[in-house]
Amino acid sequence: MKRIVDVNIPLGPIHPCFKEPVRLKCEAKGERITGAEVELGYMKKGIERIMKGRPWQEVMFLAERVCGICSVIHNMVFIEAMEQISDIVVPPRAAYLRVIANELDRMQSHILANFSYCYTIEHETLGMYLLDLREHVMDELERLTGARVTCAYMIPGGVRCDIQRKEAEALLVSLDRIEGDLRRYSGMFESGPMIALRSRGVGILTLEAAQRAHVVGPTARGSGIAYDCRQNHPTYQKLGFVPITRPDCDNFARVMVRFDEVFQSIDLIRKCLRELPKGVVRGGGVCKAGETRYSGEAPRGELTYFIKSDEFGRIVEIQIQTPSIMNIEACCHEMIIGSDSIADVTATFISADPCVACTER
Amino acid sequence: MTTYLYEQDLVPQKYRILVAMRHDILVRKIALELNIPVQELRRYLIEHLDMIQLENLPARAEMAADHADQGDAVAQALGREKYTVYLQILSGAAMDAIFREVDARLQTGTPLDDAIAYGRIQIREALNI
Repeated sequence: MKRIVDVNIPLGPIHPCFKEPVRLKCEAKGERITGAEVELGYMKKGIERIMKGRPWQEVMFLAERVCGICSVIHNMVFIEAMEQISDIVVPPRAAYLRVIANELDRMQSHILANFSYCYTIEHETLGMYLLDLREHVMDELERLTGARVTCAYMIPGGVRCDIQRKEAEALLVSLDRIEGDLRRYSGMFESGPMIALRSRGVGILTLEAAQRAHVVGPTARGSGIAYDCRQNHPTYQKLGFVPITRPDCDNFARVMVRFDEVFQSIDLIRKCLRELPKGVVRGGGVCKAGETRYSGEAPRGELTYFIKSDEFGRIVEIQIQTPSIMNIEACCHEMIIGSDSIADVTATFISADPCVACTER
Repeated sequence: MTTYLYEQDLVPQKYRILVAMRHDILVRKIALELNIPVQELRRYLIEHLDMIQLENLPARAEMAADHADQGDAVAQALGREKYTVYLQILSGAAMDAIFREVDARLQTGTPLDDAIAYGRIQIREALNI
């Protein structure tokens, strides 16, 4: 008779399915996962420590270097936190341009996350289609901000540069193309029988467990939690933003929420361009002393900056709570526990869109 | 002798996580609540939680403050769900046993404050600090 023994299966730190180094020590009984432990520390940057004592002009560049995938939102949350401390008012046109940059960043991040998932479940064809599509979104981000990754587009009191009419028209044409292609790819994902076998009912994260671990972003919305920081942002409120949720709580729901949110981002950008107010994009302002807690919706969820600054605008204290901290924790201690196969561990882990660079800061 | 990076001692890194601004505030608050030396609590957390659980402690504590032990004053004072389900520093079985003992004392007429103080001593003993 076959004997079932308890086995420790280490995954990583270097693994073909992981974008960044992290080590998961899985405990299994046969093929069933009974526990997991996470080891970090392979890419610690100590960026919060570097930020301390530096003026905001330096810290804004450091902030977007926390994560290469969602650098725009780090820039946005840090700058909006400094604006909140210093009572700086942003011109309406700049506020709309911020939304466009942020949504383009969200689109490329979600498409990359879904590529990673398709790659992990070995649907490389769809993965490569998505990766190709992401390049078009990156091109649009470059068109708007002048850079692909660390854009430093937002500054206190506005944005660095305006969008020209020709650029706005080109962006709209590109969005039409991206939307058409993405509709085809999301349809492939939604109707793929092999994809469903690997994704539906796998990596269950119940609503209660998600709430306990403070899970955020598409991972939480895939478990039916209707919370998105954009609901509380004044510009998004003007645009009539409503969060997207799915009740299924599995890998499939998390990936589909990301697909749905890309379509939502396309609509938001179109609406922004249609209603773009006239006026200046740089209102100016001086950063002052103060202390605040400010949250924004990163592609992976709620990103929070705790900042204390002095009268010269230098950062005295700072701590960054990135969404991946909560999502990876819930993934490793809730979602993968009870998985029927070791192969589901990597797929479930990637479905939570983990960003180790954000986690380790 | 070859030493591998992935077999490194994680204690210094875990300690760095716990002395960050928000983590430090939380650890000191728990230590004060349970009357435990801060360093002893840090040692316990380092030994019993993995790195990502340590990173997520403040977020879980916030959720516990909003949602844990609603409507039960004794459970709230002892942190019944807070320490077991949310912060995960004590097993549910151990906390249930403590809660039963505190409940029994309250039934026999022990004042609420004394019963809760007794419960916190029991939590300290369960944590073995």
